[in-house]
Amino acid sequence: MKLKDVKAKYRELFVVEKAPEEKNKPKDLKKAARDFWYGKPHEERRLGDLYVGDTGLYKHREWRGFMDTMYYFNMIWLYNYAHMVGDIVKYGDGPEGIVDFFKGTMRYRWMGQTYLTVMHWFDRGMEGMRGEAMKASAWHYRGMVSETIRQFQEMFIADKKMHGGKEGKNWSKNIAHNETVGGSFFYPFRGQLEDIPLEMIPYFVSVHVNSHTVLNYIDAAQSIGLPSDPCPMCQAEYGLFVHDDYPDFAPAMITTNEACDGSVATSVLQDWFLNRPLYALPQPMRYDDPLVQKNHQKEIENAWKFIEETYGVKFNWEEYKKTAESFNKLTEFEWEKWDVAANTPYYPISGVAQALYRIYYSQDGDRPIWHEMDEHVKRIMNKTVKNKIETFPKTRHRAIAWSCAPLYYSHWCTWAYNCWGINCVINMDSLMFDQYLRTDTYEHALEDLSWMNEKAPMRAMAVGGHEHILSLFNYMERFNCDMVIMYDQLQCKGMQGIHGVFEDEFRKRNIHAIWVPHALPDKRTVSRKEIRQIINDYMTTVMHEEPLDPTLVDFDDDKSW
Amino acid sequence: MKSFLKFFGKFIGFAAVVYGILFAVFYWDLDGKFMYYIWEPMMIKRFDNMKRADNTTIPYFQKEAVAPSEYTEIL
Amino acid sequence: MKDLVHIFELEDLLQEANNELIRKAKKDGKRVLGYTCYFMPEVLLDLPGCVSCRLRAPRSSSPDMATYYMSNRTCMYGRCLLERALEGGFNFLDAQMATETCTVTCRFQEHLQLMDIIQNPDFFCEFTDVPFKKNDNSIDHFETQLQAHVLDKLNEKFGIDTSDEALLTAIKEHNEVCRLVNEIGSYRRLDEPTITGTEFSIIMLSTLVCPKYLIIDKLKDIAEQLKTRKPDEKKTYRCKVVLSGSEEDDPNFIKLIEECGALVVADRHCYGSIPGREEIVVKEGEKPLHAIARHYLETSQCPRFMDQHIMRDRKQFLADVVKEYKADGLIISQMKFCEYWSYERTIDTLIFPRDFGIPVCSIEKEYVNNAVGQLRTRFQAFVESIELKNIQNSKNNSDKEVTA
Repeated sequence: MKLKDVKAKYRELFVVEKAPEEKNKPKDLKKAARDFWYGKPHEERRLGDLYVGDTGLYKHREWRGFMDTMYYFNMIWLYNYAHMVGDIVKYGDGPEGIVDFFKGTMRYRWMGQTYLTVMHWFDRGMEGMRGEAMKASAWHYRGMVSETIRQFQEMFIADKKMHGGKEGKNWSKNIAHNETVGGSFFYPFRGQLEDIPLEMIPYFVSVHVNSHTVLNYIDAAQSIGLPSDPCPMCQAEYGLFVHDDYPDFAPAMITTNEACDGSVATSVLQDWFLNRPLYALPQPMRYDDPLVQKNHQKEIENAWKFIEETYGVKFNWEEYKKTAESFNKLTEFEWEKWDVAANTPYYPISGVAQALYRIYYSQDGDRPIWHEMDEHVKRIMNKTVKNKIETFPKTRHRAIAWSCAPLYYSHWCTWAYNCWGINCVINMDSLMFDQYLRTDTYEHALEDLSWMNEKAPMRAMAVGGHEHILSLFNYMERFNCDMVIMYDQLQCKGMQGIHGVFEDEFRKRNIHAIWVPHALPDKRTVSRKEIRQIINDYMTTVMHEEPLDPTLVDFDDDKSW
Repeated sequence: MKSFLKFFGKFIGFAAVVYGILFAVFYWDLDGKFMYYIWEPMMIKRFDNMKRADNTTIPYFQKEAVAPSEYTEIL
Repeated sequence: MKDLVHIFELEDLLQEANNELIRKAKKDGKRVLGYTCYFMPEVLLDLPGCVSCRLRAPRSSSPDMATYYMSNRTCMYGRCLLERALEGGFNFLDAQMATETCTVTCRFQEHLQLMDIIQNPDFFCEFTDVPFKKNDNSIDHFETQLQAHVLDKLNEKFGIDTSDEALLTAIKEHNEVCRLVNEIGSYRRLDEPTITGTEFSIIMLSTLVCPKYLIIDKLKDIAEQLKTRKPDEKKTYRCKVVLSGSEEDDPNFIKLIEECGALVVADRHCYGSIPGREEIVVKEGEKPLHAIARHYLETSQCPRFMDQHIMRDRKQFLADVVKEYKADGLIISQMKFCEYWSYERTIDTLIFPRDFGIPVCSIEKEYVNNAVGQLRTRFQAFVESIELKNIQNSKNNSDKEVTA
């Protein structure tokens, strides 16, 4: 390599070019000192200049002002790296856990290729954020990372594939379930069994961290003849099996029909590949109907009987009660958060942190880490509300995001705020599981548990009648939103099937709605750049607005994680 | 006391250097660059060349270990 | 073979949803109740005073208005139904008895609820929840649903008698039609079938879209004629196949397969008769509604069922059909964008040739079948491959005999 090439590479990787208008400006030391201490004002940041080509990497990480940069470095970057190591040891059941972690990293693509890039996930989600918003959102991310490590370590410890075909430690105490089966179903067995969603870590969370990996699973699914139009989430879920990239960590499996026809159909293929007792726990489609509740409750009870019989464990009412009550505390805080988000400009959680954290913990069920994180966030939120700190001060539009989000670009809302001042206050999947779990009697408990899971992610709005999906307009009012980001999941038949009604309603109600097409985990169908272009076009041609940060309007990040 | 102070001073100095290096790694996104340019291609190569079981060759009618029928059948 | 009696008449009746017999039933004062899915028991919609009509959108072209509402990424069957409804083609319906059994037909039916599409002041659309399993719990649930969302509604809105006696009468008439269809269909099991797949498909579809009391005599005539109908002296087909898959209500599609040399001897698809035309058995002491709920869950082979053993048995069932009807192969046809069948087709395509030794032709098609040329090529190639296989097999057998 020639020196010229080295220099060019260095410039490409590290040197941020000055903006043309900055080049000939005389040096202003006072301003430089102010920028050093407080960070540049939003309109002068030029965040787009920090990217290395289309990689999504940074020439250097953003200077957020002295205090925030130091906070980010110490309390986010260093803190999380250190705690990740701690979690690997802690959840790996001692030093052997490190060996299992290493073996897992070398065995599974979704592990080795994906999760080590996790700090970039933080960077993408918290780009441009300052102060309390940055801090609170980072705590949510920290919770998700810790829980992810717990789950994959539990899988690795038990995994047959990593232990020469023999059952690993705890294998017989693990119960696998489809990622869309709520963790709350297993509360009566917590302490006796470990419930681990089979695809949550290998597929769902991994796409957010690194969108490259999942493409292998989608391709694998299609390689055996599946057309490309079914929901790519389901494709990826069973692609894991075709690609032989699923850990074998439990003797039985529970599956469900949540959230769509594709999920039902996926179960057939999973049953084939897994070949072990599989219990289907379907949920009623017309879930508003009081007459369907008894059937679902009975199915839940049958699932419990199945677990008791398969594992030789006993239903523990006290454990259920304790765990459900503990989960209720998370729900209470969620409602508190919604209240602040809906009625004040002091809500310190970004759109992406809100969405991911909510869907993760509510699906996963009660775990100590969520309480720990909520305590941190509660402290920050109390501070922002008490001191009236506007956490997203450049907000021009309060948006609600509806339908399911692009997993490879869930951080689009960070970009939208930085570029256009669109503050995504709430999203559809955050509004799921909106149910308090009574524990005064067994009957009430069963009733609420059933009802809560009928309102699980995606299905709560997407099935059971058009009135659910059209509740957008009520939520829009409740959260004081003036704009809708309408996710247009191209392969979701349920949402495609009601497309025109939304168009009619938006026109009738004179609502600004931006349709954002995407293919859930598959960034090849609609790229992030195309998504941004659609929003840019709307903001310039319909809203006639100027970007807050022009460097973010058009940039390429096709090869980024 | 003097030797302790000396040790402490050295420790602080060492910690400061480590801290400085870590800050440089953080600020210049060296962790990201390492992952992107070195680690990930290495892993892709590894996983692309990994020998994998062809699960589609599993006979469909393997009748072992299915769910207890009393929960799933019409009685 | 000699033309079947009434066959052209029945074919004509399939040319529009609001056919001559539906119009006659309306004149007779009957309520016409639409439905789309096998899970809505047609026997309940044929109670005295009303007639069932399984919705089709014959002679559809491009469903432009429906595509605006449902996008072009949904199953065309659902869109064509909506288009037909928007055009006014379903204004004859007095009610739509809906099920949320697959996403797109559900959305179509929700449009009927949400928008003022059906120009009939009495019209209403009511949904029934259908379980995903075949256990006792599901049957009880389904029975409750049918009572509340079908029988009670029919009684409340139209004053239909929904007593057990009325149900038993409806079951009796329904079973009579099933018996006749089964009798007619049984000739497909012969070594040399005396009815073609196209003819059977016309007859079967007629029973779904016409008032039963107005076609039962025609079915009797056909059954009578088949008793003496002789096959052509020279075989007009090169192999026999079973057609399995998603929604299929177009006899011309069956005709296309048969033109390529494959006689369709069994129809295991939505709108088909296997399952679809089994007689309802009311067990001793069983309430008729419970028997109906049990019957429809027990007989259905829909890929929507999730019980582990049912998922597995479904494959065996299909293999048994192939054997019973002495078919040489299996055509698995999936409506584009049908999620259930895209998975089912994938897995069937892999396992049937390998685990059962049954050759499979796996296709994806649209409701409005524009890709006739491509499909014809596929079917012709499939027929040739079966012929080659048969030649190979007979050669191997004769070699064995020589060796022996």
